[in-house]
Amino acid sequence: MNANPKDSPQHVVGTPAEPPQSSGAEQRSHAPPAALHGRLLQVSRMATIGEMAAGVAHELNQPLTAIANYAQACSRLLSRPGTDPSELQQALAEITAEAARAADIIRRLRALSHSRQSDRAPVSVNALVREVIDLVESDARLHGVPVSLDLANELPNVLVDAAQIQHVILNFVRNGLEALASRPSGAGRLLIRTAAAPQYEVELAVIDNGPGITGEVAGRLFDPFFSTKESGTGMGLAISNTIARMHGGSVGYRPVLPAGACFYILLPGQASA
Amino acid sequence: MQESAPTIYVVDDDEGVRNSLRFLLKSVGLMARTLASANEFLNTYKPQQPGCLVLDVRMPGMSGLELQQQLNLRGAIIPVIFITGHGDIPMAVEAMQHGAFDFLQKPFRDQDLIDRIQRALERDARNRAALAQHERIRASFDSLTPREREVLALMTQGKPNKVMAAELGVSQRTVEIHRARVMEKTGAASLAQLVRMAMDLES
Repeated sequence: MNANPKDSPQHVVGTPAEPPQSSGAEQRSHAPPAALHGRLLQVSRMATIGEMAAGVAHELNQPLTAIANYAQACSRLLSRPGTDPSELQQALAEITAEAARAADIIRRLRALSHSRQSDRAPVSVNALVREVIDLVESDARLHGVPVSLDLANELPNVLVDAAQIQHVILNFVRNGLEALASRPSGAGRLLIRTAAAPQYEVELAVIDNGPGITGEVAGRLFDPFFSTKESGTGMGLAISNTIARMHGGSVGYRPVLPAGACFYILLPGQASA
Repeated sequence: MQESAPTIYVVDDDEGVRNSLRFLLKSVGLMARTLASANEFLNTYKPQQPGCLVLDVRMPGMSGLELQQQLNLRGAIIPVIFITGHGDIPMAVEAMQHGAFDFLQKPFRDQDLIDRIQRALERDARNRAALAQHERIRASFDSLTPREREVLALMTQGKPNKVMAAELGVSQRTVEIHRARVMEKTGAASLAQLVRMAMDLES
């Protein structure tokens, strides 16, 4: 519906401080200094991850609980004569597996929060989604929202900074989960979908079945410092917008019928070699 | 009607937690039946099965709290021990208000869980015994003839045979026969016990 980047809101982070220009040098004049940009991204990324911390804490608590249970059971079994060592072996193997699971959660979190210089590489958007899906699911589970994936086959690769695009995904997911907070428990659904778009672009969309967004608000969604949330900084979608533009793409919003919202990012696909 | 051995149901969507609980309970000789969702539990659970339920408060789909409400709606008496993650205290409070037996925060000391399970099983056994007794009394009272019921009502009011005979327009001898039948059918050993049984049915 909104495949042309020209149709999408064209706000850029930092616009209030810099009067818009209509000259041909628009793109350059809008770009914040690289250092500031990097810092802003980093702050935003940490903020998003901070918002997800409760989900991560909950997720880490599960393997820790399992480890504690197995260890306490082993200690009981050891104090009892005639315990079969193979029973202990089994529990110890489970402890090792649960510890690995905990380490894995931390590794994923670190990979995401790690400050990285923009390094672009050709990658499939589906792979980007799969890398963050555990984090997304831990956050969604905390909200009681099941997440489903609808990933298109045979999409062209995109040349992107993976961490930045994943930041956009997490940001869309956070927005979706917050929109679903008003739904009765168990009714919320979140869908992450990838699809081929016209003009050899790739669309990555996060769709919720929340109340959707009113027309008035929809027009300002990607404005910096615009937020409908009491605790929001208003920077999440604005930064997502900047990230998309830096990659020659765009972000947008469309309503979903009968109820819900769809946030998407369009990225130029690479011609297969 | 009742299966004798109590079942400890463990409902948690996390496979690691579920399996570790089964292992832990087995190490102290308790058999647990583990299930991955509220719906799986509802499909498995039979109200006549004695036991207790160890329930994760947060689960995708039907949450632990919603399952508790479903069970309350169905009049299930199974005691529920909630296990909650970090920061789920408000949910635990809500669960307690809706009649949860107890709650534990993950990770927990094994002895705490085992103690609570034992107490929950004792509570369940008491509840079931009381319920069974209630049913027995109801069945025995239901077997009384209309005349015997009239006599029962007058007996519980403490009326002597002579007064009953006058009120019912029968001989004292007839009243004595009805009285004996009432005591026999209800199994009451004394008038005091009969009065308690009648009160139990009214409550």
